[in-house]
Amino acid sequence: MSAVRLRGVLAALAAITCTSCASVEPWERGTLARPEMAVDPSPLQSEARAHVYESREGASGAATSDGGGCGCY
Amino acid sequence: MVVTDAQHRFLRAVAQCVARLLRRVRAARARERRARAAVTRTRRAPACLDALTGAALLLPGLAGAAEGDGVDVQLLHYREGERAILGLESRYDPIEADTLTTRARFTLADRLRLRLDYTQDTWSGATPVATAPAELRGNFSNDLDGISNASPYLQPGRTTYLDIATLRPLATDGYGNLTGGFDDRLVHTLSGASPETRRQADLLLTYEWDESALDVGGGTSRERDYESVFGSLGGRFDFDQKRTTLRVGGSFTRSETQARLDHDALPYLYDAVEVVRDERRDVGLHASLSRELNRGARLEANVGFGHASGYLANPYKAVQVLFIDPDAQAFAPPGTYYTVSNALRERRPRSREQGSLDLRYVQHVAATDAALHLGYRYFRDDWGIGAHTFEAEWVQPLGRSWRIAPRVRFYSQSAADFYAPYLVTRQAPFPPVVDPLRGQVYVNANSPEDGLRYFDDPTLANPDGYNPNTGDPVVDENGDPVPQSIADLLTPLTTRLDPNKLPAKYSSDHRLSGYGAISAGVTLTRELGDGVALELGYEHYTHAGALKLGGGGEKGFADFRFDLLSARLNVAFGASGRVFATPSAAEDEAHAQHEGHAAERHAHAGAPAGVMFDHLLSTQGEVMVGYRYTFARRAGGMRQGSRALSAASAKAEGCAGAPCLILPEAMDMHMHMLELMWAPTDWLTLMVMPQLTDMSMRLRGVATDAELIALPHELNGLYQHHISHEHETGGFGDTSVAALVRLFDGERHHLHAGLGVSAPTGEENVQLRDTHAIDAGATHYGMQLGSGTWDFEPSLTYTGRAERFTWGAQWNATVRLRDHNAAGYGLGDATQLSAWGAYDVTHWLTGSLRVVYGWQGSIRGAYRGTFYAFGPHDEPRNHGGQLWDLGIGLSAALPGTAFKAHRVRLEWLQPIAEDLNGTQLDRKGELALSWSLSF
Repeated sequence: MSAVRLRGVLAALAAITCTSCASVEPWERGTLARPEMAVDPSPLQSEARAHVYESREGASGAATSDGGGCGCY
Repeated sequence: MVVTDAQHRFLRAVAQCVARLLRRVRAARARERRARAAVTRTRRAPACLDALTGAALLLPGLAGAAEGDGVDVQLLHYREGERAILGLESRYDPIEADTLTTRARFTLADRLRLRLDYTQDTWSGATPVATAPAELRGNFSNDLDGISNASPYLQPGRTTYLDIATLRPLATDGYGNLTGGFDDRLVHTLSGASPETRRQADLLLTYEWDESALDVGGGTSRERDYESVFGSLGGRFDFDQKRTTLRVGGSFTRSETQARLDHDALPYLYDAVEVVRDERRDVGLHASLSRELNRGARLEANVGFGHASGYLANPYKAVQVLFIDPDAQAFAPPGTYYTVSNALRERRPRSREQGSLDLRYVQHVAATDAALHLGYRYFRDDWGIGAHTFEAEWVQPLGRSWRIAPRVRFYSQSAADFYAPYLVTRQAPFPPVVDPLRGQVYVNANSPEDGLRYFDDPTLANPDGYNPNTGDPVVDENGDPVPQSIADLLTPLTTRLDPNKLPAKYSSDHRLSGYGAISAGVTLTRELGDGVALELGYEHYTHAGALKLGGGGEKGFADFRFDLLSARLNVAFGASGRVFATPSAAEDEAHAQHEGHAAERHAHAGAPAGVMFDHLLSTQGEVMVGYRYTFARRAGGMRQGSRALSAASAKAEGCAGAPCLILPEAMDMHMHMLELMWAPTDWLTLMVMPQLTDMSMRLRGVATDAELIALPHELNGLYQHHISHEHETGGFGDTSVAALVRLFDGERHHLHAGLGVSAPTGEENVQLRDTHAIDAGATHYGMQLGSGTWDFEPSLTYTGRAERFTWGAQWNATVRLRDHNAAGYGLGDATQLSAWGAYDVTHWLTGSLRVVYGWQGSIRGAYRGTFYAFGPHDEPRNHGGQLWDLGIGLSAALPGTAFKAHRVRLEWLQPIAEDLNGTQLDRKGELALSWSLSF
């Protein structure tokens, strides 16, 4: 990805973040507290899938080095 | 007491909600009075409760309630589709993997939490080793049936022609005659793999402060050829009343490779080494920022950096090289290069820098009350791989207890700089050593390392021996003639290829090629009861060069698909509910005095861990989930009947008349079983018990030199394979389904019958990988995962109780409903009698003693397909027998705590005596561990 495109993505991200920065009051956080609103609603399954992707794709975990074995097959 | 701003806001939220609820209740009552209709609750009340839940997140110690204490058990099945090898049928099955993951989370102290993970996966099947132009004809069938046979196809010395201008392979008729045009087809060289198991255990300790947390973790992963140890440190910081969360962390991994290369590949690899020993280190750093954007949206951004150094290659991957030998171009038709093939082990850089950016956005969709998850990931490394991943998931709650989440994922990567499906180099694979004055150097083929050099000398005055290759007289280094007996043995001295004429790094692993992948899947979650959830997942994945963003991906030969199936059971300890809530002291007392129910609970508390089908559930609608682990070991010497046998006697008598070449040394079996029980009525309990099994076996060679010489060459290789590797198998075993029927239930005595069926879900014909170019056939009988037959499993169980004593007895049997399975053999029928007594040492701990008698018939029939018997364990008659064991067990429960519905049992079965059928390996014992939870 070129630097220009990366800057574009970051700018769009900043725009989304800022326009949506309505302050969330504590009593307005019921929806956010629901399990389906978690960033990862099925973490164990996601980890297992990520392990499969890592052993089958070139872009590996990058920031995580927490075992996973050789994945040589 | 100082009230913080956060607490003030929380109290205000509580007050507002309570007031709102009271207003609604009053209004509802008024409406009820007016309409005289039943109004149970207003529709918006849950939203208010949600608000309270959300506000409660601000309080210290409650923030992690959504990820509370509990246990997860997850099974994952991975299955690849067939690889395309030019329309031929590979006789290897595609790769399959079964993965078991268990995760337990506990609160150790007020702010200290522990997470324990255990994962094991077992895989087997065919995988690409290298890639070659189809014109090499390495992967063409030798058989009329079109099944690709010998393995692997890295044979050196295969020839092909390349176009001089483009270096593209030219089409031939297979006999070296050009047929016109190019043949750009590529094909994988596949190699089978015997099953292999990896085990990983790790833990994570978390200490929580009010607005931050510290994570310290570590673990180890072990497999036959790769071991790693890792540690991590992380922190979480909450800002702005937890609307914004920052996480930072780092991890370090040290791994060691000890890979024994494929016997078959060794002769075909130019730079073969028998065992690759090396190590690598990985360091990872990451930071993420999570932000609540508004009451229905959340955004998370994550940056990661990774540095890996050391051996980063895959020891089992090779690269085909086409050598353009300048001295052999006389064979080339005009306009072409004549090439000869060879294969090199892949060479990857010894360091890798990786960076990634992850963005995740979650949006609540009010119209259907669902959550839309969008994700994007950008990855870049200094190997030249750049990757984009796009993900979208729609998480839709359905009613109170169901959740369905369809998702799609798209992935695209560019190729690593050093990726090439194969290499072309302008040099001879074995360049001749030429003396500038005396020409080609020769050595004695029988002793090339003796340091003596020979030369042709056409001008020699008094020749003796003549070089059979050139017809010229031969001289030694001093210029003296040599006798014909030595001249006949001369061979040209060659050297190794010049690495400078090859790329510095190369790999033809298609995972480093340019391609795209699209996958779609669905996750279905069902809340089963108080804090218990079942989650099922499916995904279909398609890898294709044509899917690469921007085009230019690898050709279709590398395309493949896979399916992923997963099932997860989650039990939350801390969830609210009748079972998990800590009972009050009064409840405890009532419970203790409640003779009937308590007696029923305790009646099965005494049954030791190794007893299956030991109790019914006591009340209609009750559900129990359990996990049962069994470890059995056979090791030590050999036995025949009831007596110990020397190795020499075992060798002479163990193999049906012929001397044994191999004796078993040790065999381990691990079984993980999930027990799901449900009582549709109070006299009937239904059970389902899926299981994951893995086994390993170590053998030792006892063949004499004379026996080895008499052995055909291929079987000699298989013999070496057996004694140099520990064999492993693993995967899903057979699944038992049973109904337990209450026959008698008195104050003291209890009797129930079990009628079960074992379904043949385990593989009964696991194959060894091919070795020395022969089909090695089926693995040992004792290493198969299932019986291959439907089996009837009746049982009768009696239990009794008086004061602190419990006792019981059980008869159970396994009757094979067919004599033989599809592989040609049938396991023997079996029966077992157990009697035990147990004593409640304290109100939470019970000790037990058990006596077990077991009988099992020998194996009927034999493998119909290829099978090579080398030792006693390969003889069908050397299985089964009569066994006497003593079991010592402990059972623990924690009544009056949040864990009162949990029970943990442990039992060690010590062999006392046996009368084994034929000659078998001695038994060391069996460990049974079970955990159960009823609700």
